[in-house]
Amino acid sequence: MTSERFLALIAAYGADARRWPDAERAAAQAFLAAEADVIGAALAEADAADALLNASCVAHPSIALRDRIIASAAQAGLKARRQGGRWLNRLAITMGAGCAAATFTGIVAGVMMTTWLTADAQADAILYQASLLGVDDTELLG
Amino acid sequence: MALIADPDEDLVRRVGQGDPAAIQAMVARKLPRMLALAQRMLGDAAEAEDVAQDAMLRAWKQAPRWKPGQAKFDTWLHRVGLNLCYDRLRRRRETPTATPPDRPDPGPGPDRGLMAADVGVRVDAALARLPDRQREAIVLCHYQELTNIEAAALMAVSVEALESLLSRGRRALRQALADVRPGAEGV
Repeated sequence: MTSERFLALIAAYGADARRWPDAERAAAQAFLAAEADVIGAALAEADAADALLNASCVAHPSIALRDRIIASAAQAGLKARRQGGRWLNRLAITMGAGCAAATFTGIVAGVMMTTWLTADAQADAILYQASLLGVDDTELLG
Repeated sequence: MALIADPDEDLVRRVGQGDPAAIQAMVARKLPRMLALAQRMLGDAAEAEDVAQDAMLRAWKQAPRWKPGQAKFDTWLHRVGLNLCYDRLRRRRETPTATPPDRPDPGPGPDRGLMAADVGVRVDAALARLPDRQREAIVLCHYQELTNIEAAALMAVSVEALESLLSRGRRALRQALADVRPGAEGV
C-alpha cells in the first residue's frame, strides 16, 4: 500500500475501514497504523465527508405502501401453494381406498356367513323332519 | 462460471412458491433499501414510492423463475431500481414542465443553530445537485453499502472509474457544505 493509493482509497470510500475494498482493507489498515501522523489531515477530511453523508436521512416506508406492495404479490400471480393440500389429498385417497377395501371385505364376509347359516339351517330341517316323519332324506333334498 | 453465494436465495425461492411469510419478509428486507435508493436518486418522496413499488412488483414476477447462483438477487433488484430511477430522470430532462422544483441549499437558519435535521436537509439538497453519476456512485457505495465491484458492475464502469466518481462527488459535497463544521451538533 503506497501513500498515493491510501489517499485515493479514503478520498473515494471515506475514513471508515469497513467501507474499504475487501482486497485492500488489511494493507490499508496496516499503512494507517504505521503512517497515522503523515496522513492525519487527509483522514480527518475523509471523516468529515463521512459525517456529512451520514446526516442524510430518508423516510421509512409507510404502512400503506407496505400493504400495497404485499397486495401486489397476489396480483403478480404469487399465490400460496397449499403444501398441506397435497398431503390432505393423499390422506383422502388412502382413506377412500381403505373404506372401499373395508366395504368389499364386509360384503364377502356377509355372503360367506349367509351361506354357512343357510347350510346349517337346511341340515337342521332335514334332521328335524326325518325324526318326525321318518321319511328318507332324498325326499326332502330332492 | 463460479456460483455466486446469495444470502437471499432461500427467501427468493419461498417467495416464488407464494409463501405469505416469505413475501412479508422480502418486503421488510428490500422495501426500505429500494425506497432509500429511489429517494436519494430522485429527491422526490412520491416518485420514490412509485419506483419502490414498481421494483417490488418486478421482484414478485421474477421470483418464481429466479435461477440461483448466477447473480445476487439484491444486485438484480438494484439494477431494476436504478433503471426505473433513470427512466424518471430522463423524462424530467425531456419534459421541462415536469421538472420538480429546484432544491436550493437552504443554508443555516438566521435565528437558530445548525441542528441535525437541518444538516440532513442540506446534505440531501447537496446530493440532489450532484451530477447523476456521482450521486449514483455515492448512493450505491455509501448508502446502499454495495461493494465497489458490485457498484461498478451496476454502473457498467471500471472500479477505477467508480472511485473517480466517488472522490469527485464527496469533494463536491464538502465544498457545497463548507460552512458545516465537522463536530457540529448532529454531525
